[in-house]
Amino acid sequence: MANMLRKETKLHSEILNIENSYTSIKENADLAYREWCNPIRPRIDVAIDTSSMANGALEIKRELIKLVTERNAALDVSQNHGYGMQWLNPLVTITWPDGTSIVYGPVKLGNITDIIDEAIDRSGAALHLGIGLLSGEHSSLINLREHPFFKNEPDERRLIKRIGFTNPDSIEHYIGTRGWSSFARILYRGMTPDDVRQELLDGGLGGRGGGGFPAGMKWNFLAGASDSEHYMVCNADEGDPGAWVNRVILEGDPHLLIEGMAIAAYATGSQRGFIYIRDEYPLGVERVKNAIKQAEEKGLLGNNILGSQFSFQLEVVRGAGSYVCGEETGLLSSIQGQRGQPRIRPPFPAQAGVFMKPSNVNNVETFSHVPLVLQNGSSWYKEYGTEAMRGTRLFSFSGDIPYTGFMELPFGTPMKDVLESCGNINPGEKLVAIQSGGPLGSLVPASALPTLTLENASFVPYDAMMGSGGIVWVSDRTHLIILNEYISDFVEEESCGRCTTCHGGNQRMTEIFRRIMAGNGRREDEFNLKMIDDTLQHSNCVHGQFSPKPMRNLLQHFRHEYDALVVDRKDSTLTIPAMTQFRVTNTADRRIEDAVAICPVNAFKGEVGNRSIDDEACIRCGACTEIAPNAVVREARADISQSII
Amino acid sequence: MPLETEARAEIRSLISDLKPDDGKLLDALHRVQHRYGYLSDEALEVIAEHLKMFPSHVYGAASFYDEYRFDPPAATTVRWCSGPACRLENSNGIRDAMLAVFKLKELGDRTDDNQVEIINGQCNGACELAPLIWIEKQIEHKRDVVGKLSVARAIELARTISNGEYVEEGNETAF
Repeated sequence: MANMLRKETKLHSEILNIENSYTSIKENADLAYREWCNPIRPRIDVAIDTSSMANGALEIKRELIKLVTERNAALDVSQNHGYGMQWLNPLVTITWPDGTSIVYGPVKLGNITDIIDEAIDRSGAALHLGIGLLSGEHSSLINLREHPFFKNEPDERRLIKRIGFTNPDSIEHYIGTRGWSSFARILYRGMTPDDVRQELLDGGLGGRGGGGFPAGMKWNFLAGASDSEHYMVCNADEGDPGAWVNRVILEGDPHLLIEGMAIAAYATGSQRGFIYIRDEYPLGVERVKNAIKQAEEKGLLGNNILGSQFSFQLEVVRGAGSYVCGEETGLLSSIQGQRGQPRIRPPFPAQAGVFMKPSNVNNVETFSHVPLVLQNGSSWYKEYGTEAMRGTRLFSFSGDIPYTGFMELPFGTPMKDVLESCGNINPGEKLVAIQSGGPLGSLVPASALPTLTLENASFVPYDAMMGSGGIVWVSDRTHLIILNEYISDFVEEESCGRCTTCHGGNQRMTEIFRRIMAGNGRREDEFNLKMIDDTLQHSNCVHGQFSPKPMRNLLQHFRHEYDALVVDRKDSTLTIPAMTQFRVTNTADRRIEDAVAICPVNAFKGEVGNRSIDDEACIRCGACTEIAPNAVVREARADISQSII
Repeated sequence: MPLETEARAEIRSLISDLKPDDGKLLDALHRVQHRYGYLSDEALEVIAEHLKMFPSHVYGAASFYDEYRFDPPAATTVRWCSGPACRLENSNGIRDAMLAVFKLKELGDRTDDNQVEIINGQCNGACELAPLIWIEKQIEHKRDVVGKLSVARAIELARTISNGEYVEEGNETAF
């Protein structure tokens, strides 16, 4: 009895210590974040993320600092993450001492003086670049929550609530916005791992990698595994071309991911964790590493976290350009320093994962949801979404639309509303297909738009899947088979090579597409494609199994386009090289000699004033029609055989 | 153990803190490639020795990944984005035109004088700039993005690169 009492007292004092450590960290962080929101003097934040940088954000920031220094202006320059309107990059935010915060864009080098003037005197010098308010009020600007691009988002962002509002490199900003509080609460309330997993199960969080399997249940497998050495692994190998939703978290709120992983580790008895980030996200690698370092310095990661008995070591593994490492067992092989080949299951990761020890792999977004669900409870989590898919998730939109960017949307949002917020299909073009789920995903026909929602169930009738967040809108400007050829070539290149069905099947598929595109389609191609489809189903992992989907979709939903190409040898889009030819229509046009000069293969023959194109030499790149649109025309090839072999 | 040359000692110093059987192979390969621009036979041997692996295992694993290279990079690397948004903007035309300017057959090839190589790049979600290419100086860790390309502009760029006259005109990005 006395022993038990002593133990209780010890536990009690340990818990008190944990609470005190966290409270003191939090007090400092709150102060720092208050100063960020209401700075002593105006502050200019340049959005620094992969997309902004590609638009020149680093140069903008450098020039801003230079000019502010030269003018000796009473301003600070810092950074945040872009809010989502990527077509308006580079974005710049000014925050004034009264808490008003305005986002401007696109900010070019020539606008820097305006931005600085605006920050100093608020005279409206940069008003012409004003997009909207993050906070505060302005007579002629709307709050970004009312921006049409975000009209389908929840009233308040959830998963990405810090995006734009914090410096992703500052753990103080994270803690100052209730960060690390879910984790700390677990420790100072003395919750057991079982309690945590139960709370997550009750919350109903489904995995965001595409499968939707309840995260809590997956954790139960690991917690129940026999070996005492457990590993927690984050799959940040976001390889689907056209999807960059994980990137937004890695670069925009890395601390959230780390807190989620720490909670997962506690709940499953994991002592070590890995975040596997694709090589194409160097900034993500840098930011996550920085966030880990800061958490270690605060005693939130490492040994005896916040003075408790719990220890967790977390590290980043940088991938090296392999798509198939996004398959969870391929990822495990890769972490171990092997070829990134998916393994044969069983054993499952919960039995034999990293170093053949029990492990659990979740997606970036799944981990990032964990602190939120624990903080706000299940009813909050279930406010949005559908019965089958709860909550919100990140989506990225690109393709033939004017507004490229990312949004946090409730599951079940109608796709036609989403298309509207993307600014509809580019003027003069018509929607043909929606490419979802990456190369192992789907091509959904435009006719599905009225009933399609951001929920997997609505994709199923089209033998399609919603996938992991990347949506590409495809118009009638480009022939779909160009995407099919790309996808099958991609899958073949990225096949790990274990299954002949997969690397061989996709090779054959690519060859057939290329022959069709060369104007030599055959009647039996359809039969052969379907046979390849059947064969691919026997592959070991989803890379092979899912790879024929876009091809199947082409045959199912784009019959007209396929037949026109194979049977009639016609490409109405005039985008398939071998089906088209270039012809000079006006030898007297003043731009024709510029077209001659740009041609990379010297395909123009004849003298000045009498130019024509050598069809044999022409590679159909299209440069000449860009330069001299009134002199050169791209048209259907005249000599192509009109009947099927 | 082979004779410890100066080069081997330098390679070893890059990875001295990494432990065997600890999930550190990719990191070791990245560090060495970052320093030298590629992975030499000697580097693979030192890494193998340090991580207590067979050199064949190290090469076998490294050769699985697209980003590891076993020859010194060309002076300039053009990384052509193969992503879907770019494809919808005639990136195939850009690829074919640039290959033609460089007189190369396919992605992955390089010019005889080692001045230029053109490789396949993966989408990283700057799709508002489609179609785009990255122009890289691997040794100096410089990466420029040139987006919203036309085929004509890509040809002009390729010509300046071929002539060795390219000055960074794109937007730098992390590498």
